[in-house]
This record gives sequence, structure tokens and C-alpha cells, in this order.
Amino acid sequence: MVRGSGRGRGMPGRGGMGRPPFSRPRVMMLRPPFDLILAEPAFPRCKPAPDDTALTQALLKRHAELCPTPAEQAAVLSLVTKLQTVLDNIVVAPGDFAACQLEEVRQVGSYKKGTMMAGKNVADIVVIMKTLPTKEAVEGLSNKVSEELNKLMRAEGLGNAGSACHERGFTVSTGGGAQASSAVRVLVTTLHQNLRKLEPEVHLDYKVISSHLAAIRHSRWFEENAHHSSIKVLIRLLRDMCARHSGLEPLTPWMIDLLAHHCIMSNPQRQVLPINVAFRRALALLAGGLFLPGCAGLPDPCEAAHARAHTALDLPAQDHAAATAQTLLRVVARGGHRYVLGLQAFEGGKDISTEITVWDGVVVSPLAPAYQETPEPMDTDDKDEEVPDGVAA
Amino acid sequence: MMAANNYFGFTHGGTQYGAATAGAAYGGQTGYAVAPAATAATYGTQRAAATGYDTAYQAAAATQAAAHAHAHAAAAAASAYDASKSAYYQQAAAAYPTAAPQPQPAYDTTAKPAYSTPATYAQNNIIIQGGGRAGGGAKAAYGSVYTATTAAASYPTQPYSAPAAQAPKPATNRGNSAYDTALYNAATMYVAQQNKTAANTGWKNYNKSGVGAGQTRRPKPPPKAQQLHYCDVCRISCAGPQTYKEHLEGQKHKKKEAAAKANSSGGLASGGRGAGGAALRCELCDVTCTGADAYAAHVRGIKHQKVVKLHTMLGKPIPSTEPTKLCADKPDGDKDDEDGDEVQPVGQDYIEEIRGDDGKPLSFNCKLCDCKFNDPNAKEMHMKGRRHRLQYKKKVQPDLEVKVKPSMHQRKLAEAKAQRMLVRDEMWARRRMHEGMEDEERAYWEGGAEAWWARGPLPPHMHHHHHGMGMGYGGVGRRPETSDDRHVLARHAEIYPEEAELQHIQRAVSHTEKALKSLSDALADQARPKGQPAKPQVKTEDKKDEKPEGKEDGRDNQLFSFMGEGESGAGAAGAGGAGAGAAGGGAGDAGARALKGVMRVGLLAKGLLLRHDRDVRLVVLCHDRPTVTLLKRVAADLPAHLARLKGSSDEPKYKVDLLPAEGAVQVSDGNVNVLVSLTSAVMREPNEGGDIKRDDKDVLPRQKCLDALAALRHAKWFQARAASLQSCVIIIRIMRDLCRRIPNWTPLNPYAMELLVSGVMQSAGAALSPGEALRRVMEAVAGGLLLEHGPGLRDPCEKDLVDALGNLAPQQREDLTASAQQFLRQIAFRQIHKVLDMQPLPKLKAGAGWKFPRKRRRSNTDNDHDTPNGEGKIVKTEEKIEAENSSAKK
Repeated sequence: MVRGSGRGRGMPGRGGMGRPPFSRPRVMMLRPPFDLILAEPAFPRCKPAPDDTALTQALLKRHAELCPTPAEQAAVLSLVTKLQTVLDNIVVAPGDFAACQLEEVRQVGSYKKGTMMAGKNVADIVVIMKTLPTKEAVEGLSNKVSEELNKLMRAEGLGNAGSACHERGFTVSTGGGAQASSAVRVLVTTLHQNLRKLEPEVHLDYKVISSHLAAIRHSRWFEENAHHSSIKVLIRLLRDMCARHSGLEPLTPWMIDLLAHHCIMSNPQRQVLPINVAFRRALALLAGGLFLPGCAGLPDPCEAAHARAHTALDLPAQDHAAATAQTLLRVVARGGHRYVLGLQAFEGGKDISTEITVWDGVVVSPLAPAYQETPEPMDTDDKDEEVPDGVAA
Repeated sequence: MMAANNYFGFTHGGTQYGAATAGAAYGGQTGYAVAPAATAATYGTQRAAATGYDTAYQAAAATQAAAHAHAHAAAAAASAYDASKSAYYQQAAAAYPTAAPQPQPAYDTTAKPAYSTPATYAQNNIIIQGGGRAGGGAKAAYGSVYTATTAAASYPTQPYSAPAAQAPKPATNRGNSAYDTALYNAATMYVAQQNKTAANTGWKNYNKSGVGAGQTRRPKPPPKAQQLHYCDVCRISCAGPQTYKEHLEGQKHKKKEAAAKANSSGGLASGGRGAGGAALRCELCDVTCTGADAYAAHVRGIKHQKVVKLHTMLGKPIPSTEPTKLCADKPDGDKDDEDGDEVQPVGQDYIEEIRGDDGKPLSFNCKLCDCKFNDPNAKEMHMKGRRHRLQYKKKVQPDLEVKVKPSMHQRKLAEAKAQRMLVRDEMWARRRMHEGMEDEERAYWEGGAEAWWARGPLPPHMHHHHHGMGMGYGGVGRRPETSDDRHVLARHAEIYPEEAELQHIQRAVSHTEKALKSLSDALADQARPKGQPAKPQVKTEDKKDEKPEGKEDGRDNQLFSFMGEGESGAGAAGAGGAGAGAAGGGAGDAGARALKGVMRVGLLAKGLLLRHDRDVRLVVLCHDRPTVTLLKRVAADLPAHLARLKGSSDEPKYKVDLLPAEGAVQVSDGNVNVLVSLTSAVMREPNEGGDIKRDDKDVLPRQKCLDALAALRHAKWFQARAASLQSCVIIIRIMRDLCRRIPNWTPLNPYAMELLVSGVMQSAGAALSPGEALRRVMEAVAGGLLLEHGPGLRDPCEKDLVDALGNLAPQQREDLTASAQQFLRQIAFRQIHKVLDMQPLPKLKAGAGWKFPRKRRRSNTDNDHDTPNGEGKIVKTEEKIEAENSSAKK
């Protein structure tokens, strides 16, 4: 990595040999972070394991709170089923509907994965268009869908569904009333070969479109690899924790999925780890720089080789996330898990990761950010590539 | 004046001309007149039957007419021929010498060879038409004929346009007398004019200089009082002769002419080829429309109206407005299909209506193509149009079918591609052939002289060029070091003790060890003669010989045994006991010395000394429990032995202090302090009886002795485990420095730190570069390894589960973890220099490093010599490190 910007230079003296410069040696050299679970042989336990029943209880209690109620689930299920019917009809028999042609309709996201949270009754459906996703096509589809859906709803004597377009597609929602309100985001994307034909001013954004395609891959991967309920429990807990601490908010659901899967499943015995161990491990990994630049992080199984899950975060966000997780780790180590999990509000809803706290005389203080906007210009040869990395991922 | 191709045909004729006779001329003419349309075969027969030319000609003319769909032209030609025939006869042959029309007589002979290919045909054709007799050629010829023969070009218009009007009666040879006379007039006038002006070269002349004849100047035709200048090819009329001439010379006209020519030679309907099945054609304007809509638009259009008007004026027939379908060979059913196949308008959604105040659509805006229309018809047309469909395909529906009209560019591309494929195929074929030859060559070498060529030296072209190719990739070079690595190494170079410092310590330790050895010998000597039953001083056999082991001190960091060869039996047991901590000491009274050996421990043994470290430790193993008495004895005697060893030079003045509380004596030369602890393996044994029996007051503090024993084991563990891990010693030195500098880290005891670092490195599963190693250590601590719920650091040197960290308070653990967390993020964000407490290193000159590491270093140091801040020093020392590393890690 010493060569930095010099890769364009010729190789005097080696002229004809044609040894190509290493394309991305940095990626090859990245190492996974220290992981206590994997490093157990080097650090055998020499004192009794801590009594974690309190933590385990708290985790399970919190998880019960986070699970959606049966009523909510039923509401979402009914809406998703209807919508699926409508969309399937359009796929099979478009009739005179000409705004766009649909290739496929798939359910994705937390609804599909079974990791929905209480209070967030939003399911996601990805619609793959055979035609290119112009804004007009999305609008046309939205109108058509809500028209058809309302026909169905009226047939069943239910209320009206509204639909609203946005930059990802459109959202169909049913009002509250007697039943719980629910919504389905219809995410629009297009066939893979159409991706390069997208134009920013005519179609939906390229990034949005490809993220929807990725969402399909993600839910497929999840179905195949991460169906264990421990993983789902941990995902709910982590998502809730991340949502409540500002530093961890930028973590995407996909990163959390990968992290939870790694924490539960990746151990020498290939056994499902207990939830308390996995929760501590997740915090320890984040604190240990899993999502920091220069770390191998978690490889993204749904992207091309060497893609890392966390590079979607920008550098300040990576720093902030790590610092928050580090503070939370120490808080949990002092027995503050009830605050971290959200079972108990900390001093009226303050973010515990930004406050100095005292536990039995031990002072736990938050950490200052390390990232600097303008790092010393002298020493930039090394991690320059992190940024393009992020773009690539 | 004369087009080049005419020229060619003419000259060609000219050369042949000499062979011809005047009499033969006629037959040639016949053949010739037919020739333009007919094949060479027809031509031959007609020529043969020279007399029957009239009928033959008519038949030929008819075929020709059918072929060209220009029956009227054929008729005209036929009659014109008759007319001109007489003209020719009337005029002497000399009348014809100058320009295109004149080669006529020659034509019989000339033409034959010239006509062998259709291409020349056409050319000649033109020339003859110039004669005014053979109008049967493609109508394309007309234009050029005129250019060729007459400067003003006004003259022939009349005769030719007139017959065109009479086209429906092609069969009658001399159908129209008026026409005949007109033609006749024209011809005679022409000839007369030629006669008047021509340079009268005559045929012989002509014969001689065929080429020159073509070049001869054309006489100006007489101005003709014709108002209408009509170009039959382009179907336009021109305002005056000047414009007409310009038109004829213009690009547009030539293009059309060429197209028409291509049409006539290539057979029928070639014009419709490109337009596809649905093309409609307006006969009148010779315009091809892509669809019914376009045709309707054309018919309505001003251009078409103009042509109609013109034709009406000229009295020409006006074809019905019904479009002519191209591809007439298609059955009707197909046609209907095509009509039904008419493109569906697409992209209605993308056409925006701009409405006026009254809600009526004022104009339309196509968002896909970014264009506007005011007319709904235009909008409809646009939506079916190619451009719109292409945009729609591009932006909305990629699988929409749009008829491809291969442009010139695309065609060229395709051709180029085909060309490339051809070349590649050829190359492969050649390569295969080459390989085949090589196989044979190999067979030749392997199997003797069985190859097809004669035995002997190989042909030179058989060299294998590619043998060297496999060597391009050498071994992968050294992994380039990262900025983190460079910082860690630079910092390491800063904290690593200087050579002089190390030598100083080495010398002091060595002297102490030797002095202890001689003291041990002295004690042993002393104990034997005395025969005293005092416990520690067990007599041993008197052995005075000086170090038969050949080992002078503990330089190799192993136990430096004081025993001679003879006592090795008992000594081995003792030494082994020192290491393993279990040996029978009680029973060994008989043959053991009081001081069995000395070993370096701690920093010295582990090679962890840092700059300004002064305190080193030695541990002396005693045979039995070390007592205060023994310690005092050592303290008292050691100076004498030291002084004796040191010899004459008195510069290091050793001072020996007794530290009973530590269970040790300290040897100091003012600079280096060597702490010599006494201990014994016996101290570890948990036999209570022994302890009680023993006089506790006399024995050195138990804990200190155990610590010394532990230090021995730690040194051995370190040498066995940690030192062998890559980067481990460097990182432990760095961490020692860190622990010294940073208060949060001070509570971490050195041994725990060593355990931590080695564990971290070991768990990596692969060699780590220094930068990576430091980061990984920080990752481990930041991840909460040292917190209460962590596993602790198991001491590998104890049999029981002992946490090497055990003494850390919760707040200390918390602070350690928080500090490591901060450090980790600083390392991740390029601020490792903050962790190491140093100046950031300058960025390396990019590009050079990974290719020529050595060169880069050298040049860097060179460059940095003149930088004032001493960066050069760091880089230079960095170079030294590698050598040092290898020695330090041993």
C-alpha cells in the first residue's frame, strides 16, 4: 500500500515483463478483528464465568416487548396478501395496463425475514419491472394498484387504501380504525440488464434501484442462512438498541442482520450461541473495530468478492458507531444493560452513550471522536482507499 | 465536359476503331442499340444477324422497356434510331468525328469487347444516346447524355420529353410521325451544327488519337427556344438554361442519376430494398414513403403538387395517386398483414398536453424525445415514429422492437467486425499450422529423423519464440509495509536501547555472573575443609578446574550452572528442579553446592530492555532454602570476586548492597543495577513440616523467593512461546513503552501485558506486521478482554488457574479499556502517531515503495538529509531495525 497514487507510473527497468501492479492489495491484507469467541484457545477462561442470568432475562423481556402483536401481524399479513394478489394479476394479465410491464414481485425486508418490530407495521415488496422505471411508470403502477386494491377491499367491506409515491416506489397504507394500521412499501426496481440504461432525470435513482435488487438477494440469503430464531431475536434487540443510540443509528438493517448472524453462528463449534453471549459479542465486535476502516469487517455474501458490509457508512459514522458501541460495552460491563436495552429510560430518555455515568464508584465516560475532517496531509497513503471502497459497495 | 466514364468508354472504342470498316458500322449499331438492356448473349446474336436489325432491335427494345419500366423511352429510341439513321447517311462519316456521338460507326467493333461487362455497357450506352438514336437506355442516361453532348443542353430536351408523353404506345415502331420528324429535325440540326463547328478530324485521325478525340472541344449547340428545362431524372424543371446546367452538375442530380443507374443495372425495385416491406412509392415524384401516413402526407404536400402541376404542363401522364407497393412479388395476403402490422403508437403517457386557458390542447410535449408539436396529427405521427420508438426503447421498455435501419456507420462497423473475424480466423489457422509444424519438429527431435524434411539443421523459422514466457512472474515480493508499520517501527527504533547502553549492561551482568560463579566455587571449597554441619553449606567435591563447561556467563539467557563436570549428576537434578520447580532437594545433601547456578530473568532474559532501562535481574538458585546468613555471606564476598574479575582496569567500580527485604543483593556500577535474588526450588514445595522445622527467621522472605522462581519460569515461557511469534517482541516493547508513559496503562503488570500480547498474536493464526499486531492488541482490549466478565489472562506458568491480571481494580480495568478503545479508533483513522506519542512520519514518495524498496529507502535518506526536522534519522534507524530485530528476537 505504499504506492498510493503512483500506480499510474510506468515500471522503468521492467518494461516488457508485464507484471501487473496489484489491483487492490489492501483488501487482500485486511484482517478480521480480534474476536474473543474465535480466540478462545489463546485466552482460556481462568475465572468463573460471570452470572449472566440478569442479562439474559433482560434480553428476553425486551424481546417480548419488541415483537409485534398478533393484531399487527394480521393487519400486515392481510394487506400484503391482497397486494400480492393485485400485483400478481398485473404480472400475469396486464390487460390494458401499459404504464409498465412487471417481471416479478417479491416480498423482502423485515416482513419476509420475520424480524418485524412492534409498532412498525411496514412490509416491503419489491416489484421488478421489465420496462425501465420511469417516474410516470411508478405513478401509473401506483394508481393501478390502489384502484385494484380498493376493489378488493370494498369486496371485503374494508376501508380504503391510499397510496403515495416516493423516490423508492410507492407506499400503500390502510388507515387505522378498528384494525391496526399497516402499510406496504412497494419498492420499484428493474431487470439487472436494464441498470446501465438508467438516466437520473428520467428514472428512479440508480442507487435506489440497485439497493432494491440487493434487498431481494438479502432476503434470499437470509432465508437460506439465518432462519434460526436466535438470530431473529438478536436482530430485533440490536435494531432496537441501534435505533435508540444516535451513534449506532446509521447501521443499516442489512449490517445488523449480518452482525447478528455472525455473532450467533460463527464460532468454532458451529453451535448456536446463547443470546447473552451473542449480545455481548456483538457489542465487543463493534467496540473492537469490526466496522472501522482498515478492518476486514463482515464480508457481504450478496455482493461481489471483497465487498464489506460496513463500507456503506461514511468515515465519521464509522467512528461514531464504534465509539458508541465502546461506551455501551463498558456500560453493560458495569451492569447497565437495562438502560442499554431500553427496559429503563436513562434519566428521562437521554442517550446513555453520551453521558458520564457512575456505577459502584466506577466512572464510565464516553469517548471523543477520533475521526478528523482534515487528517494530516503527510500521512494519507494508507487508508485512502476506504472511501472508494464505500462507493463500490 | 465529358464525364470521365464516357471518356473511358470512348477511348476504348477508339482503339478498336481502327479495325472497323465503314460498312460494318451498321451491324454494330444494331447490336449496340439493343445492348444497353440486353445481355451480352442477345447482343451477340443481333450482331450476327446484322440485316434483321430492325426487328431484332424492336424486340430488344421491348425487353429493355419491360425491364426498365420505361416503355416510352424504348419507343423513342426506336424511332429516334430510324430518324438518325438517315441523318447519318446523309452526313458523311466525317461529320462525326469529334465527340461522343461520333464513335458510332466504330461501335460495331468497339462495342463488342467493351460490352462484355454490364458496367461498361452503361457507360457506352450513354455515349450512343448522345447520338440521338439509341434512346432505349436507362432513363438515367438522359441527363448525362445531355451534359456530354451539348453545352447548353437545351437541344435534346424537346425530342425526349415529347416521346415520354407518348409512352403508352411503345410497340409501334414509327408510331408517331410528328415525333419522327421532330427527332429528325433535331438530329439534322445537330449534325449540321457539328459540321459547321467541328474540327473535322475524320475517322482516320480519330483512329490514331483515340484519346485525343475524346478531349476535343465540344462545339456549342445553337440556342434553342425552349422555355422548359426539365430534368427527367430529378423530375424538376429549371427556370433557365443556366440553372438547368447548374442543376445537372449539382451533387443532388448526380446522386439521383447514380441511383437510377444502379437501379437499371441491378434490376427492378432495388430502390425499395432498404425501405422494408411497408414502403409505398409515389411514381410521379419517385419518392418512397415508409407508410401510408407518410404517403398521404406526401401527396398532400407542396412538392408533390408542384410535380403534378409540372407534369400537367408538360402534358405528361400523371399516374394515379394510388401508391405503388414495392415488393410486388409478395402475395396480397402478406400485404394485408403488413397493414395490420402497422406500428402501435407507444408512450402515450409521456406526451404532455399543454392546454390553453379554454382547456383546449394547444401543444404537445414529448418528454421522452424532448420535442413539441402543435398538431395532434403530428403527435400521432411522432408516437409511431422511429425516433420516438427508439427513445421509448431506450428509456422505458428495453425490449421494444424498433426496426433497425442500419446506418452507414453501423454497416461499416459490421464490415470491420467481419474483417477482424476473418483476420483472426486466419491467424488461428496459421497458428494451428505452426503448431502442427512444431509437433513435427518435436517428432523429429524425439523420434529421430522421421520428419518430412531432410535430416540436417532445423530451418531457421522454426524458433520457439515463446519459451521465455513462463518466467514473467517471479516470486511475490515482500509485502509492502503500511503507514502503521512504519510508525510502529520508527517508534520502536526510538525506544530501543543504544548499542553502548546494551554493551554496558551486558558487561555488568557478565561480571556479576562470573563473580557469582567464583564465589560459588569459593563457598564450596570453604565448606568442604570446614566440615561444618551448617545446612546450606553442603560440602562438595573439591573441583578447582576453571569452567570446563566452556561457558563463561549466562549470555544465552539459559541457566548458567556453577557446577563442574564431576558434580553433574547432582547438578543436573538441581538445575532441572529449578526449571520445573520440583526436584528432590532435601535428600541431595551429599553432592550439592550451596549456589547451584544463576540465570538472567526479566527484561534482560526476554530482550525487552528499553532505552534508559538500568535495572536488570539475576536469580541465583540455591541448593536449599536461601537464608539471610547466606545472603550476607554473598554480599560480603562478592565485591572481592568482582574486583578480581575486573582485573586491572578500575573504571567500573562495583558496589554491592544487601537488600534482605528483597531477598537479594544489588550489584551496581553506578550506571547499571543488577539485582541478584536468591531462591531455591525447594521453596515451592508445600511441605508444611519442613517449614515449621525450619528456622523461619533465618530464611529469606518466602514470597520474594517465589517471585524469583516465577520470574525464572516467565523467562523460560517467554523464550519458548512469545519470542517466536512475529512482531511479538516489538509490540511488547512498544506496549512496555506505552505502559510507562500512560497512567491508565501503568497498572497492567508487565507479565500480564506479555501474556496479553502473545495471546493476541497467537490467536491471529498468521504472521502479523507490526502495525497490524498493535491494532489487534488494541482491538482485544477495546473489545472488553480485560473487563470483569472477560476470561482473564491465564498464567501458563502456574499449575492452578491463576489470573495474571488478578490485581486490577474495576476502575483500572475500565480506564484501560476506554483508553484502548480510543487508541483503536485513532489507529483506524490514521493517527497512530498519537498512540505512539511521536511525530507523524512523512508520507512516502508514492509509487516507489513497493517496486524498489531498497532504492526507495536509500533515496529517502538521501533526500531527507537536508530536511531540518531530522526525519531522515528516523528513516535511517528504521533501516537498522531489521538487523536489530533479528538479533533481538533470538
